[in-house]
Amino acid sequence: MNAICVENLTKRYGANEVLKGVNLKVEEGEFYALMGPNGSGKTTLAAIIASVRMPTSGSVDIYGRKPWQAKEWIGYVPQENFSSPELTGRENLMYFAKLLGYSGSQAENLVSEMLDRIGLSVDADKRVGKYSGGMRKRLEVATALFPGVRILILDEPTTGLDPAARRNFFGLIEEIKDEQTTIFLITHIGADAELASRVGLIDEGKIIAEDTPEALKRIHGLEDVITVETAAQSEKVANILREFSDDKRVLETEAGYRIFSKNGDKVLAEVVRNLDYAGHKVTRIEVARPSLEGVFFKLTQKMVREVG
Amino acid sequence: MSQIAAAFTKTIKEFLRLRTMLFWTIAWPIVWVLIGSFVFVSGAPKEIVPYLRGATTISMMVFALTIAGIANLPGNIASDRENGLLAKLMSMPISPWKDFTGRILGLAAFSCIAAALVTAVGLACGARFSNTGIRVLPAVGFLLLVICASAGIGLLVGTFIRRLQGAVMTGVGIAVVTSSVSGMFMPYSALPPLLQQFARVYPISSANSSAIYALIGEGMAGYNPLTPSQTGLTVGLALFLLVLGTILYSRFCWRSE
Repeated sequence: MNAICVENLTKRYGANEVLKGVNLKVEEGEFYALMGPNGSGKTTLAAIIASVRMPTSGSVDIYGRKPWQAKEWIGYVPQENFSSPELTGRENLMYFAKLLGYSGSQAENLVSEMLDRIGLSVDADKRVGKYSGGMRKRLEVATALFPGVRILILDEPTTGLDPAARRNFFGLIEEIKDEQTTIFLITHIGADAELASRVGLIDEGKIIAEDTPEALKRIHGLEDVITVETAAQSEKVANILREFSDDKRVLETEAGYRIFSKNGDKVLAEVVRNLDYAGHKVTRIEVARPSLEGVFFKLTQKMVREVG
Repeated sequence: MSQIAAAFTKTIKEFLRLRTMLFWTIAWPIVWVLIGSFVFVSGAPKEIVPYLRGATTISMMVFALTIAGIANLPGNIASDRENGLLAKLMSMPISPWKDFTGRILGLAAFSCIAAALVTAVGLACGARFSNTGIRVLPAVGFLLLVICASAGIGLLVGTFIRRLQGAVMTGVGIAVVTSSVSGMFMPYSALPPLLQQFARVYPISSANSSAIYALIGEGMAGYNPLTPSQTGLTVGLALFLLVLGTILYSRFCWRSE
């Protein structure tokens, strides 16, 4: 059953066409990530699904209903930190519980349960202005997890989070995923999108590829990148490495070389053995797996995010 | 009902916890009550000093209500828009009218707290009113009109000035400038004729004069603002501003673009 069905969706702001005929289907219980650079239209698409914006043409169905008829099923978490810094975590959740019509004691019980679930019980009575970015984001996800929500829309939830907070955040998402809630994640970070069961790549208002993360990398023929550092750099080392690079490319870097292979693990051992046999000491060697950012780059010749 | 209660609770808690709001809405008018009570009355005959202090207290109470409506309310709306809360609310099954009602009630409650504190300081400084008892009721009515008019202007500012900083600065600017030119910081009689006309038309200053007239008398108000035509103008314009602000707020702030 389709939780979200988007057909020929367009959105214009004046002369600027942000979405150009987007088609998208997300199954119930699926974890779908939409990945693209800033300005690609992904946030606009999420906002239309959440009935915050109206499309110029095309249609969006949420379990067969129009988005504004399905508001009770949607838990939308915008990109910005929307929780009030002047209120405590508990007060923020109480605000949303009461907006959703829960009465005093019912709301209090539900909020306590939710604070436990997101691991914020201890800090529940601190003002949100004193929370870390990760705590605040977990609190904001909780505002979208009240009973009845069937689709969770997360717009760039890990922007600005440190690696530990990011891991913690996706631990929470993993827990929600088990409960068969449909998750629609908007991101420009490949590592976040890789956690999804299916990924759509969006560029200039169009979905340019869509599949599982593994399939996207396989179909678009991305190679492992093997970085080799030796005690000394020389033409002889480069010639040995060339034999193991799929297209005979060897890139020289400041500290060593880079070669490319679809079978990085197998090549790794052979590279070490051959260099050792020729008398070149390997000081460091590592294999980097292909990423969704790499797939995006291969398809568009653009970076998903700017390198700072 | 719980949606209105939720918006009310959030609004009043935020107002009471934001130091800048407390300063502009409560501390600033109190400072003016103190200055007005001890500095501005130094040359006045002794017997009218308590009533001058009373008039100053009423004007600063009105100023507190004005700041709360014209600066704090749009700041609250702009902040909710800027930090994505408005988008979040639009995605939820919530009526904009209930959100609006909760906000306005929160503003009114906060305004009452501010007014009570300013009055208490004024009375402690020796402010006296010649009319009490039943004459207090129309004065309270005019103060409610101040809340309506300033909330209406605040809703307009919050609807059209999208950034928090801009909304607050615009609100403070409007409140301070209009209060200054309409005789809230000086006697009505000291205003030039053109500004006297403005003071009679601008519903906040005419409600201020009406409250002073009701509680102290014409001497302090500078003119009789309780004529049927003047009262009608004050009530009509205050309610018009509130209705206009409400309509534009629910149309533009909650519109899915």
